[in-house]
Amino acid sequence: MPNEYQLMKDGALCQDEWIYADEEVGLSDAPSIISLSRLKAEADVLRARNAKLGVQLLADGNGKTKLGEDVQELEPYLDMLSLVSIAFPTYRNGRGFSAARVLREQFNFDGELRASGEVLHDQWAMMRRCGITAFELAPSVSLETFSDAMGELTDAYQPAADDQRGALWQRHK
Amino acid sequence: MYRYDEFDHQLVGERVKQFRGQVERRVSGELTEDAFKPLRLMNGVYLQLHAYMLRVAIPYGTLSSKQMRMQAHIARKYDRGYGHFTTRQNIQFNWPALDKIPDLLEELATVEMHAIQTSGNCIRNVTSDQYAAAIDGEIEDPRIISEIIRQWSTFHPEFTYLPRKFKIAVTGHDNDRAAIKLHDIGIVIKQNELGDVGYEIHVGGGQGRTPFIAKKMADFVPKAQLLAYLEAVMRVYNMLGRRDNSYKARIKIMVHETGEVEMRRLIEAEFAKIDASQMLAVPQAEIDRISAYFASPEFENLPATSATLDAAQAQDADFARWVRANVVAHKQHGYGIVNISLKPIGGVPGDATDVQMEAVADLAERYSFDEIRVTHEQNLVLPHIRLDVLKTVYDALNAHELATANLGLISDTIACPGLDYCNLANARSIPLAQEISERFADLDQQYDIGELKIKISGCINACGHHHVGHIGILGVDKKGTEFYQISLGGSADENASIGTITGRAFTEETIVDAIETVVTTYTDMRQTDERFIDTYRRVGLDPFKERLYAE
Amino acid sequence: MAQHSSKGARFQAVTANRLSDGEVVYLSPDNQWAETFAAADIADGPEAGDALMARALPADFELHVLEPYLFEVLQDGTQYKPASVREIIRAAGPTVRLDLGKQADAKRES
Repeated sequence: MPNEYQLMKDGALCQDEWIYADEEVGLSDAPSIISLSRLKAEADVLRARNAKLGVQLLADGNGKTKLGEDVQELEPYLDMLSLVSIAFPTYRNGRGFSAARVLREQFNFDGELRASGEVLHDQWAMMRRCGITAFELAPSVSLETFSDAMGELTDAYQPAADDQRGALWQRHK
Repeated sequence: MYRYDEFDHQLVGERVKQFRGQVERRVSGELTEDAFKPLRLMNGVYLQLHAYMLRVAIPYGTLSSKQMRMQAHIARKYDRGYGHFTTRQNIQFNWPALDKIPDLLEELATVEMHAIQTSGNCIRNVTSDQYAAAIDGEIEDPRIISEIIRQWSTFHPEFTYLPRKFKIAVTGHDNDRAAIKLHDIGIVIKQNELGDVGYEIHVGGGQGRTPFIAKKMADFVPKAQLLAYLEAVMRVYNMLGRRDNSYKARIKIMVHETGEVEMRRLIEAEFAKIDASQMLAVPQAEIDRISAYFASPEFENLPATSATLDAAQAQDADFARWVRANVVAHKQHGYGIVNISLKPIGGVPGDATDVQMEAVADLAERYSFDEIRVTHEQNLVLPHIRLDVLKTVYDALNAHELATANLGLISDTIACPGLDYCNLANARSIPLAQEISERFADLDQQYDIGELKIKISGCINACGHHHVGHIGILGVDKKGTEFYQISLGGSADENASIGTITGRAFTEETIVDAIETVVTTYTDMRQTDERFIDTYRRVGLDPFKERLYAE
Repeated sequence: MAQHSSKGARFQAVTANRLSDGEVVYLSPDNQWAETFAAADIADGPEAGDALMARALPADFELHVLEPYLFEVLQDGTQYKPASVREIIRAAGPTVRLDLGKQADAKRES
């Protein structure tokens, strides 16, 4: 279960309609976020469930490299999902930035894509450029701080998952 | 050379402002050091032994007189009157105060320079051939795609928190002066049978604790697909590179552990997806715009030889020696490529005072179409000097101790800052470079020995590139005492090789004698026209080992 | 950071770098961060070492210094000096530029 957070979604602080469901307990009708392993195990049953479903991509993995879950594994289930929560284990671990772009640009996922875990002030703008639209922030963060951080770098050199084309292209629009 | 447009100015300006805010939040306590550290690293600010260190980016080692003068100004105003040119074509300052760095960066921005991404787990400065646009036989000026790659990689939102640092180098010539095979990505500009220009891509080279020569991943990536290919490599690395152990997190380890074939498959698969979108095909108009900045200077029509030069050489033996060693043939008749040695006998390799920087700036402005290059061997270059004025340039350089005639010779040593400056070091490297230089001070003797690249690192991180020295020296710490391990036969060029350790390490007292033994072994065994590296490749390690450890 | 273990050391001192300008500093007996090794508080024995280190880490230490650590010190008659080459260099300045660093400040003041 994630730590206490406030949800920043589409540029505004809001109540989170989603819950992180307990692995052992049957799902209610509330929009529920489950683990990838549960999704795989119960996919057939979950398809029949008439409520919003989300998944959290875990960052801590097993094995030598501890890479965590791979975004590619979500592909068969995207039609069932309205939300993907990407867990950032430490701010140093930037795998989630790639996962976000793959979801948006290759899988054309258009549901809610949120960052959870250790998410630093100075990463928000880059996360948004990668297609992340919701952030689980520490309770102390103000909307003003968030908006300021988002506005720090206005242009970009390269395209990503947002609508910035990038200077190399925009110079010749 | 490239000139910023409003995009570039705005992005650099915003970054300076952003960093100023980050420094303020650190000083006020709002940011912990743990959270601040990656931010300051991404702005090139290290903490070293005695003070902070700031690394300023010199994209592909090219700068103008105005930019060089700003380095002199920074050295005076914010530092102790000198700077250090590095093995990645950048410049480092060893004594800036953190609370003054935002002001320093603001001043740098006025001459279109910055310290962005010169540290941290992101894509670093793209390095290239110091003789670009001056040497004969170049397929294309490698700085054009170096500039495109620089822009694409700057503030790249996906690749700012990589498993480790990432270094890219580009060469446009058969003689690789950019050491591309020792980089995370190395690019060789190629031309196919149809005359199209494309890129041969090597991945997974690097030195440090575990040196590797890069593996060729693509024979010929067409121009329009270069960035898509690079993005594919970066994404594969970002997603699958190890993050459990920072000593195993470079892409060279991933290539080694994954295997060449599987690595290529992963890259090709991702490349196909990215390329399909065509989002990264740079418009020809933009390529043309950037290329125009690297157009050839307006060379004069001159004869191939210069009577003025010939006469001056006849009159001044020191000058003749310097021309022979430091001036390289230029593609344009009547011109020469001047190498400025920052390795005076007994000096600190790669350091330059503010006065020296100003002198070089003046010469560049007057005589070299306002261009200076930095080499990864810690020297400088004036790329386009008329042979007629070589003597004038030499006299000016000589007046500032910048005319040591030792390019590529034994006293042209690469040395990392070592334990005199660096937090990571186990041993000092600069004093050893000085002692070797003094032992072989006689320039005629040096010239007779010929090309011999000694590279010294003060710790296993190999910033002195010792793995690819003809003679490599690694400083180690044994129970608090500095020892020096010798390796032989390394090379950073198109015939890249990692050196082999000779055996037991030497003490501070015996290391210089040991180097002399290696040199004598070579001169005893060499055949006509054999450089040290040629003789080593013919006879192998054993003859050197025998002499070094003979009792 | 290169390892500078002071395991098994009898005498120890605490050093850090000042936040504002990166200057090498040493914790003094009155809990100030002093610029010279001569002013450093010397701890005798491992318990004293731990106590010294604890004094270097009040809640707000990050406002003043970076990464304080203990290092071994040797007794030299009535004086003390750092045990490792690294700390000797840190206390004085680069060996290849005697005109820079604390060694130069000392010369200027004398």
